[in-house]
Amino acid sequence: MIPVSERLEAALAQYGEFRKQWYATPLLLTIIFVVLALLPFIRGLAFLGIAPLAWLSLNMLIVTLVWASTAQAWNIMSGYTGQFSFGHAAFFGLGAYGTIIAVSEFAISPWIGMAIGSIVAGIFGFFIGVVSFRYRLKGHYFALATLAFAELLRFLFNNIDAIGGASGYIRPLPFEYADDYGLAAFQFTSDLPYYYIILTFLLVITVFSFIIKRSKLGLYFFAIREEERAAAAIGIPTYRYKLIGVTISAGLTAWAGAFWAMYFETIRPETVFDILVNVEILLPAIVGGIGTVIGPIVGSFIVTPIAEFARQSVDLHGLNNIIYGLILVAIVLYSPKGVVSWPSRIIKLLRERTGILGRSPSNQRATDDD
Amino acid sequence: MHLLSLPTWMGGATGELTVAGQISPLGAVAQVSLPNPGIVLQLIVFGLLLGAIYGLVALGLTMIFGVMDVINFAHGAFMVVAMYVVWALSGATGLSPLLFIPIGVMVLFVLGIIVHLVTIKPIMEAPQENQLIVTFGVLLILVSSIELYFSPDPQNYDLDLGSVAVGGAFIPEGQLIAMVIAVVAVVGTWLFLKKTMVGRAIRGTADNRDGAQYVGINVERIDYLTFGIGAALAGLAGAAIPLFLTFDPFIGDEWLINAFVVVVLGGLGSFPGALLGGMIIGFVEVFGRFYLPGSFYQVVIFGIFILVLLILPQGLLGGDPSE
Repeated sequence: MIPVSERLEAALAQYGEFRKQWYATPLLLTIIFVVLALLPFIRGLAFLGIAPLAWLSLNMLIVTLVWASTAQAWNIMSGYTGQFSFGHAAFFGLGAYGTIIAVSEFAISPWIGMAIGSIVAGIFGFFIGVVSFRYRLKGHYFALATLAFAELLRFLFNNIDAIGGASGYIRPLPFEYADDYGLAAFQFTSDLPYYYIILTFLLVITVFSFIIKRSKLGLYFFAIREEERAAAAIGIPTYRYKLIGVTISAGLTAWAGAFWAMYFETIRPETVFDILVNVEILLPAIVGGIGTVIGPIVGSFIVTPIAEFARQSVDLHGLNNIIYGLILVAIVLYSPKGVVSWPSRIIKLLRERTGILGRSPSNQRATDDD
Repeated sequence: MHLLSLPTWMGGATGELTVAGQISPLGAVAQVSLPNPGIVLQLIVFGLLLGAIYGLVALGLTMIFGVMDVINFAHGAFMVVAMYVVWALSGATGLSPLLFIPIGVMVLFVLGIIVHLVTIKPIMEAPQENQLIVTFGVLLILVSSIELYFSPDPQNYDLDLGSVAVGGAFIPEGQLIAMVIAVVAVVGTWLFLKKTMVGRAIRGTADNRDGAQYVGINVERIDYLTFGIGAALAGLAGAAIPLFLTFDPFIGDEWLINAFVVVVLGGLGSFPGALLGGMIIGFVEVFGRFYLPGSFYQVVIFGIFILVLLILPQGLLGGDPSE
């Protein structure tokens, strides 16, 4: 009989070997998405009389996927190229407003509104990039500049009455711009179709993000993140690639905003441009692992359900923010590479402690885990 | 978070003006083409009063940045903690809140040191974003704890303050006291930094961390002192603001965001820059509140912020931002 600890160590070592293979991340992502596709049906399953996931309402799962997809989009810019944005609420809000204005003011398809919102967000991101990177803003200054742009939009939308002003929009009924509830109207009578729409958004953004990471573009992004001057010295046009990063990231963030506008009943500047939205966008990526493809999804499932549960079920206003705050502090202090790095960290620890897993870590890649 | 709780002091002040028979309600004034000199004088007075407070709020922020290269998002939360400490002590004892302001400042000094030791010190060498995230986490914890404990309702100090008239302009006493506090604090901090050994060591560390270490300054000790003093200054500003404004747990955000503008405008880390920036933003806010509709003045403030970041990122009186 082999002791449990040794079997655990062997399993972890196998996992470590597995993670080094090229197919590891696509395989893990496939598993994650299959589980997510089944989750609405298996969350109520009881095991030995206990249903461990029964507290997860469909609404919580939807919100979780929204923040997972924004974190995934944020990650392309801030995780890959290392340009830390604290103002992604700007792009989220533009996506939401593009969609709600399309259906409320012009009675056209929300999908067209989403496309417009996404393009506007992309252009706005490009603009932020042009003005910031031209003056070589980075670090603190860049983070503050992005926050300023988001706050600017918040007060602008608050003060223009032609687009709802501070009271925003109430989502119209589908009959006012389409035939009936359904995919064309982007409105449904139950939560389940919404779940699969946001899951599809997340899937598309994740695949996109993964392709970028494995492409030459991704290599350029990571080179810029690691050492911008060296990247420039070997001939990477860093300014251009940073712009590409921020534009893609902004356009994709707007998708979740569009979804938000069609899922919730009201849209106000204070809900989509709020300073806290910036945090909700980047938090899953930080918790899961900045620069990884799996991280934002895993991170969102760690952070969002707990906070949503605290917000919805416990009658203690503010508790969800305390949870956010504690997780933020703990992750940055103790595990800045995120939850995704834990298996390899455990393996490394065991290797140092026992020496049982004697293989030397010689062929480790320079970049993070995917 | 409720960032946009409209301060009452402007409303209260215009009410007084109406009683004095000088102006009609806000909307009518906006249509007058020539500015009324009496109103302009009044607005200048308000601009000075508010600018001094902004300077005080920005002072701690810019000090922490200048010495430690940390952007402290928890600054506004520190202010709110001080407000509630003073308010709660005053409520419990029945004595004037003015007596408890020093206690609030001391509590914040200790709180600042604790926050620094627990959250900032371990990651001083980490990328800049990490400190930003951690201080934002501290903000969430502090503000939401206060919300949970004291309720999110607006509160105010139990003080009955009037106003004094000087040359045709009204000065609310609460704001006057707050301004005096701000001026004393600014001068005191300036003297401390210029004249004492510790102050010199702080300035030396701000100038050049490595150099300071070489000449025998204990940089780690300077760090926690700086963070403590920065938090104490935030506490002083926070304790003074309710003298003329109702407050709730979220009021710090509004001040924090505008304090960022002040600090960047004056130059991150620059002491005189914080005062100059404070005055500019104070005037923009007071005049903007009066002449522009809604909260449009905030759009102007962020417009200025972005312009400064782009054209003059070192600020009006600051150093090199690429360092």
